[in-house]
Amino acid sequence: MPKVPILMPQLGESIAEATIIRLQVAIGDTVSPDQEVIEVETNKATMGVTTLCAGLVTEVIAKEGVSYAVGSVLGVLEVTQEEVDRTGEQILDELSSDGNVKAVTGQEEDDDENLHFKTQDGGYHEPVTVEPNVKGLPVPTGKGGAHYISPRMRARMTELGLRAADVSAISGSGAGGRVTVEDLEQFLEHISAWPHTKASPMRLAVADAMRRSWTRPLATVARPLVMDKILDHRRSQDPKPGPALYLLRALALALAENPTTAGYLIGESVVHPRAFDIGVAVQVDDGVLVPVIRNADSKTVKELVEEYNHLVDQARARKLPEDATKHGIATVTNFGTFGLTWGTPIPLPNETLILGLSAGVKRPVWSDETGTFIPVTEAEIDLTFDHRVVDGGGAGMLLNRISELLQEPEAL
Amino acid sequence: MSEVTYIDAIHKALSDSLLEDPSVFLYGQDIGKFGGAFKATKGLQGLYPERVLDAPISEDAMAGLAIGAALDGARPVLEMQFADFSSVAFNQLVNQAATHYYRTGVPVPLTVRLPSGGTPGSGPFHSQSMESLYAHYPGLIVVTPATVADAYSMLIDSIKLDDPVIYCEHKFLYRWLKSSSYEGDRLPIGKARVARAGKHATVVTYSAMVHEAVRAAEMLHMQGGWEIEVVDLRSVKPLDTDTIIASVARTGRLLAVGEAFPWGGVTAEVVSRVSADGFHLLDAPPARLNARDTPIPYHPKLWAAHRPTPESIAHALHKLLNY
Amino acid sequence: MDTSNEDISRDHVRKVFRAMLTARVLENKLGSLYKAGKIAGGVYLGKGQEAVSASLAACLIKGRDVYAPLIRDQAGRTAFGEELIDCTRTYLGSVEGPMRGRDGNIHRGRPRDGMPAMISHLGSAISLVSGMLLAKRLRGEMQGVLGGTCVGDGCTSTGSFHEGLNTAAVEKLPLVLTVANNQYAYSTPNDRQFVCDDLVDKAQGYGVRGHSVDGTDMLACIRVMKNAADRARAGEGPQLVVASMLRLTGHGEHDDGSYVDGELRESELGRDSIDVGRDQMIRNNFSDEAEITGWEAEAAKTVQAAVAQAQKESEPDPYQDDWRAFATPNIQGR
Repeated sequence: MPKVPILMPQLGESIAEATIIRLQVAIGDTVSPDQEVIEVETNKATMGVTTLCAGLVTEVIAKEGVSYAVGSVLGVLEVTQEEVDRTGEQILDELSSDGNVKAVTGQEEDDDENLHFKTQDGGYHEPVTVEPNVKGLPVPTGKGGAHYISPRMRARMTELGLRAADVSAISGSGAGGRVTVEDLEQFLEHISAWPHTKASPMRLAVADAMRRSWTRPLATVARPLVMDKILDHRRSQDPKPGPALYLLRALALALAENPTTAGYLIGESVVHPRAFDIGVAVQVDDGVLVPVIRNADSKTVKELVEEYNHLVDQARARKLPEDATKHGIATVTNFGTFGLTWGTPIPLPNETLILGLSAGVKRPVWSDETGTFIPVTEAEIDLTFDHRVVDGGGAGMLLNRISELLQEPEAL
Repeated sequence: MSEVTYIDAIHKALSDSLLEDPSVFLYGQDIGKFGGAFKATKGLQGLYPERVLDAPISEDAMAGLAIGAALDGARPVLEMQFADFSSVAFNQLVNQAATHYYRTGVPVPLTVRLPSGGTPGSGPFHSQSMESLYAHYPGLIVVTPATVADAYSMLIDSIKLDDPVIYCEHKFLYRWLKSSSYEGDRLPIGKARVARAGKHATVVTYSAMVHEAVRAAEMLHMQGGWEIEVVDLRSVKPLDTDTIIASVARTGRLLAVGEAFPWGGVTAEVVSRVSADGFHLLDAPPARLNARDTPIPYHPKLWAAHRPTPESIAHALHKLLNY
Repeated sequence: MDTSNEDISRDHVRKVFRAMLTARVLENKLGSLYKAGKIAGGVYLGKGQEAVSASLAACLIKGRDVYAPLIRDQAGRTAFGEELIDCTRTYLGSVEGPMRGRDGNIHRGRPRDGMPAMISHLGSAISLVSGMLLAKRLRGEMQGVLGGTCVGDGCTSTGSFHEGLNTAAVEKLPLVLTVANNQYAYSTPNDRQFVCDDLVDKAQGYGVRGHSVDGTDMLACIRVMKNAADRARAGEGPQLVVASMLRLTGHGEHDDGSYVDGELRESELGRDSIDVGRDQMIRNNFSDEAEITGWEAEAAKTVQAAVAQAQKESEPDPYQDDWRAFATPNIQGR
């Protein structure tokens, strides 16, 4: 009797394999035409595999929970010749290659011709299996995974000046769910109808820096900071130092006590800072500039204020000298000036730390001294760090030390 | 309509060449009255007794003699009884024929027919594919026709070329491969042909493997709707890199298939060129599929598992498509 | 001389000897150019083999016959009609030479003139010459044509020698195959090369006529070669001529040949065929001392001119070479 394979069907243009959810037939079962015999799941849907012929199940090769490539033989039916003729199904022997060999040699027909998949005892080699899908996520199973960018895709992206992040919006249709050049072209076609503007060089520079920064495992910790003493001290000074300068100075002193916190991990080495040069983030039109205060650990706020103000003015005027933004080891940013009460700033790609200051808010705080609630100005300081170099504890200790130092502004 | 086979095409090309050009002569073992081991020269000695000559079992001298005749204005067509035996003539072919034009400026219009490739039961010394060895040497053209029309027109063209041509004819195709006519598109030597159009992957192959690759492509089409492009190289030297690259540009995936041994060779050359010139076109690492790295086994079952088959090509394509 | 010389013409003998003499002058010059560092690669000389080489080639007519010289056949090349400038150009790497710098030294020829350019693989020319003869037969131009080639004692051990001679015999081709048995193949003496009593005995095995000759005896060589050539031309099939002598030089100019047995040098085999030939020329009145001295002087002049011209010519330019190994215009190697 002819044997007809039950094959893993192509369940969509881009689907390379599917996982067996449930076998609905067993050896010895009879099946009717178009009966669903196996339930399979792809990363897009659950479907049934059907047989076109009526027949007897003689082999079940597929196992539940295992993924099989499209075209794999999942089982075998024994069917009548009439059924084969009626359906035009390919029988197993027709799938073999060397029928023509016989013509040359005049050898006897041998029904065991599919030497590549059939074993000596007449069974089948395990069909090609692949790693199972990650359930519920559109993450495919091809060895390269969805993040794989082929040389072809990369070449097209380079041609268009695109980065991996730029195509993150695209849901891939390729093998293993990856984004293909066709997906990319369709996406670009799709968005070409949307309004768009040309990104400024400043925007692109910031984008590039942030993209590089984001290759690291960044974490952020925060704590409250009572601002009153700083604000009082500030009011007593002429010219008045910006709150960020106090922060900058406190950060420099705290790091000078424990420099490894600002270390930079390269291979198996932690590279330590050579000087406590701290930058300050200055928001400018369509971007951010970060002028750097040199040796901030060895000059007081009073000594620094003029240099600081000058640099900030230069930055705002976009007139910073080239090397004024180089070689910082950490940055402070006062996002509180925008009224923000917390944030997770990102350190520059060449720095491990960034210290953020939020807007101060008047809050009632219980005073044991007076036995009453008293009003204080409280802000939040946030420290984002490279978790490869520093842990939460180390970052917390640094933040606490900064807070401590800031409670004696006159000493800064 | 009457059918013509691959070996008929070779016979006709020899016959037509003898008729057209009196400087053409055939030389080889058993090719005279007997008509050749594969009957490629059947009846020709009767028509051209002076120009169809039986040779002693001396492949070196046969090649040397043919080269000498070619130098002196003849257009010899040398039949090696089996490609495998051309190893005895290797020196004459690669050192005398191949170097001659570059050294002296005098061409060697020689055609060497190599009955190549495996058939079941032929064993290690009657099954070899020698094209890569000859293609390695500067100065030799190496052709590997896969169709009846190519077998005809490429042999005609080989004989007309002023350069030495190693004409690899596949024994497996001799009687099995049939066509209604000798006439085809008559592409020149050096141009590959897209034997089957597709868009998901490219199989680059030649000689008998073209048919196995097309079968594999049909299997994949039936199973999954995959559309596999098959490029028939036709000549492995020169190698039509442009057609290969153009196909890979369409599909992004390459599988090079050959019946020869896996170390080096035509498939490695194809992969190397695509990697070097078409890296930016690839969606997956370029793949190769060859015979196994053992001598060619005698038993038909071992033999069938030694060479690439539609199943193993389909398997390799599955892997490639799933990358 | 005891023998009558009626069977050989005066002009023929004079042609042979003059070629021998010219070759010797040329080869001495090549040796000196090598030692002056003017030649890249090796220099391979035919000293001691001039008589056998020239007496074969003198039987062949350029433009009709085929002559495939080997490593020690400068005298034969000259007798066949190769211009000296072909030699100096090839040795000195002139782009004007027949090999254009693509091949050097003795690997030169003009196949269109019936003189193929040897490859280093010994014995491969035997079948090559046979093929050139066969082509002439196919065109109906075989009448009276002769092919000649020369190999050494070492070559008789190769498969090509066997296949080539057997095939030529099967086709009954007009071929004179000379074995210059100079006792050494590079440094390997004959007792490590073969054990037969006499190489000429091989002729019988191939069903061809064998001839033996003392390769140091010019007149004997001329006589035997002419006999062999006449027989081949007359349709008797291949002729195997075994000539014995000693190589009077190293394998190449880089080799001093110190391994050569001293007794052999002192034996009859160690005679210089030029000395013997000069003696024979004078004694038989083919020439005289004064004329021979004049020939030598003229050879020295033409050799010097050929060297000077080749030296002045351009070397091949890698940027100008077309780097094409194919004759067919639209076929690219890649």
